Amino acid sequence: MSLLVPCPTCGERSYTEFTFGGELRPLDAPDPEAEFARVYLRGNVAGVQTERWFHALGCRRWTTVRRDTVANRIEGGV
Amino acid sequence: MSSFDLDGRRIPIEPGDTLAAAAFRSGVRTFTRSIKSHRRRGLYCLTGDCANCLVTVDGVPGERACVTPAHDGMRIRRETGWPSVERDVLSVTDHLHWAMPVGFYYKVFARPRWLWPLAERVIRRATGTGRLPVRGAPAGRARARSARCDVLVIGGGVAGLAAAATAAAARSRVIVVDEGEPGHALPPGGARTIAASLEAEARAAGAEMLTHHTAIGIYEGASVPLVGPDGLVEVEAGRVIVATGALEAHGVFPGNDLPGIWLSRGAVRLATEHGIAPCARAIVLDDGTGDGAAEALRGVGVDVIEVRGTIVSANGGRRLTGVTVDTPEGRRSFACDGLVLSLGLSPRDTLVRMAADDPVTVAGDAATPGCSIEDAVEDGRRAGRGEPVVAREPDPWPGLGSGGFVCPCEDVGVDELEAAWREGWTNSEIVKRYTTATMGPCQGALCSRHLAAFAAAKGAPSAAGGRTTARPPVRAPRLADLVGGVHEVIDRRTALHGRHVAAGARMDRSGVWLRPGTYGDVAAEIRAVRERVGIMDVSTLGRFEVRGPDARALLDEVLTLDVGRVAPGRTRYLLALDEAGYVMDDGLLAALEDGGYLLTTTSGGADRMETWLRDRVDRRGYRAHVLPRTGELGAINVAGPHARELLGALSDDDLSRDAIPYPGHATITVAGVPCRAVSVGFVGELSFELHHPRSRSGDLWDALLEAGRAWDVLPHGLDALDVLRLEKGHIFLGQDTLPDDHPGKLGLGWAVAMDKPAFVGRASLERMVALPLERRLVGLRFDGSPQRGAPLAVDGRIVGRVTSCTVSAALEEGIGLGWIRAVDGAFPPVLASGDLRATVGPTPFYDPEGVRLRA
Repeated sequence: MSLLVPCPTCGERSYTEFTFGGELRPLDAPDPEAEFARVYLRGNVAGVQTERWFHALGCRRWTTVRRDTVANRIEGGV
Repeated sequence: MSSFDLDGRRIPIEPGDTLAAAAFRSGVRTFTRSIKSHRRRGLYCLTGDCANCLVTVDGVPGERACVTPAHDGMRIRRETGWPSVERDVLSVTDHLHWAMPVGFYYKVFARPRWLWPLAERVIRRATGTGRLPVRGAPAGRARARSARCDVLVIGGGVAGLAAAATAAAARSRVIVVDEGEPGHALPPGGARTIAASLEAEARAAGAEMLTHHTAIGIYEGASVPLVGPDGLVEVEAGRVIVATGALEAHGVFPGNDLPGIWLSRGAVRLATEHGIAPCARAIVLDDGTGDGAAEALRGVGVDVIEVRGTIVSANGGRRLTGVTVDTPEGRRSFACDGLVLSLGLSPRDTLVRMAADDPVTVAGDAATPGCSIEDAVEDGRRAGRGEPVVAREPDPWPGLGSGGFVCPCEDVGVDELEAAWREGWTNSEIVKRYTTATMGPCQGALCSRHLAAFAAAKGAPSAAGGRTTARPPVRAPRLADLVGGVHEVIDRRTALHGRHVAAGARMDRSGVWLRPGTYGDVAAEIRAVRERVGIMDVSTLGRFEVRGPDARALLDEVLTLDVGRVAPGRTRYLLALDEAGYVMDDGLLAALEDGGYLLTTTSGGADRMETWLRDRVDRRGYRAHVLPRTGELGAINVAGPHARELLGALSDDDLSRDAIPYPGHATITVAGVPCRAVSVGFVGELSFELHHPRSRSGDLWDALLEAGRAWDVLPHGLDALDVLRLEKGHIFLGQDTLPDDHPGKLGLGWAVAMDKPAFVGRASLERMVALPLERRLVGLRFDGSPQRGAPLAVDGRIVGRVTSCTVSAALEEGIGLGWIRAVDGAFPPVLASGDLRATVGPTPFYDPEGVRLRA
């Protein structure tokens, strides 16, 4: 519950103010195979993953953070 | 003298009385009936751990009489038994034990299936504790507040207070939570004196005391919800110190639930705190710890016999009359009306067990049951400093006897555990589920370790010592407390909400918005738009302005249309796809005169569109601003053959087709209100969406209704809109679409500029459109009155479904939209929808050439 997400504008805020945006994935892919992986496949990492959070109840900006999905701890911003 | 009412009987109160103490002094021995066998249950633990004394206090069920202070004028109801707890006809079930084996419901009601719903109604009445006031006024919603601290100490005993004092002295923000007052659970004497001085020390160092609050769980974080007299407190704590103490081991032997059997602390508490003799003649089982029970009981005039040994059985009907004990001198029977058990201590560790990965330290009796006061202080100090506390192994656990109730809350006996094991439920977690042991109101406080020990003795492989998983809530919170913590979605209302309600509109929930469904006569509302003029509040549409040097590049990436081809002053239908090429939202894109853009989206899609746009701005580094204007702008759609005349009556601006082309837009002033008028075609008539400052919505709405009298203007709601757009074959995203619809399936391929090199979803879409279309949305004409949701079939095989339909007054026939699957590579032109014939046909159904729009 008390997961705090570092927002570049608002500082550390409770995760309940954010919308989770999932794993950070590339915006583009060089070939169809990579494009397929980019769109449909997820790492689903048990450990530290880089992910997107949207500060919906705050400044309404996106931020990218690294979170340990096992301990549910934010390791830091990116 | 003050008193309370117990089932119609006046119970006098003496100072310091709990409900249980006062009632016991007045001769009450049976406090509850057990859940299945309707056996009498009396006071047992007096520490708030067991469920034997749950009563309804002033209408609130499930309150523990033994820890609830008695107040003058309270109304207490015992909850179980019919017609009363003293004369319970259902106690006959105790003699039918043989007929109700473990897993009774699963076995008896498996077949026939129709029997269970009937049986359930009877069983639900016969069992359970308390009664929810389902027919009365809602219980309401407790207040909820949040608190943050560095250290949360659960339990205001010696260890907890020492921890609080130490942590607070080190400048940590400390909250101490206790079910009663700090120190209340300690025996009178030295321990209380020490607790009082520790409390003073903690308070002086700045620790906050939350008395009469109960921690009901530890959630990730750590986040700890507390229920108290003023509602719910959600504490976010840097770390948690659990100092909840220990409870006495529950004894399991035949007859172990008879009123008159006490856990030692309970009997002592009644004697020393309240000066009440729990019985006339007590057998005190001497376990060698010398906890002073015999002495305390003698102090209130009880005839005490101290006995060493193992209890074989307790005897009696309505209450205890004798005990049989295997003593070192052999098996002996004693006549008595009291049996005091002192079988060892067990940490009160339910909270700890649900917090495996959280920053929790356990201190005092909860870590080392039966530790000395000095050790408890030392534990607390260490925990307060953030140092680890080493726990001693708990006391050896008393074994199960040859019978008796392991889980008194759920009436689960030794024989039921044995039966479950024989039937193949061979680990503690599934024995728990099969027998419901540990699942009663005390949440396994009495029986959880017995169950684990039982499984271990059977040789079950065990993680975590065979203890079953602990889950919140540890104590029963009120429903009002639970909803107090719920973050409620707020209804959004447009600026015209009051006018809609005053006009008698039926307000429908549409996503987060409240919107008029109809003002009473849907057919008249439709006719007004088709024949004269109608107005609708469309302030819920998502609106965004996008500006900046890269505005066009941003929109070209997110939208499927070629933004460069939209000239200033013109408007185009927009589609946004997700990365899988599926339709995410639709709306209109208006190119503004100054190079900016105004997007309108669906009412429900606004939030997602904004996050979508901002994600691209952030990640691509576009120099573009996304300015949400949904909340700031009201919008009213004026539609119908007389729409232009109505606006003309209120505006001096040029409203001609040259000034406001279709599809296009212009800024005009209507009734003194500055508006961006967007010429739109959703309802299929000449129509103008007037986007204007929200603060002026009322003025504009009133002026339109007033001036519109000349054409019998009517406001219309969503019901009419649903028909009007359907006659035009326009889709409602979400209603007519499925989550995996790409534009081709919806007949919206024309809205996608495949000649654009890149946009979100393009690659996926390319791959999908190369495949044969296996499903698509089509227009349908029916030879009768169609039904929404009805299946569409070919030769008895269901291949589709009606997503929208109506009997159109304008067209005088049944029309609809629906999706159908290809059959043998081709889409069937005629389908059966129930008894009706559905013919696939082109859309729009109404005014296919769009003549009326361009009027």
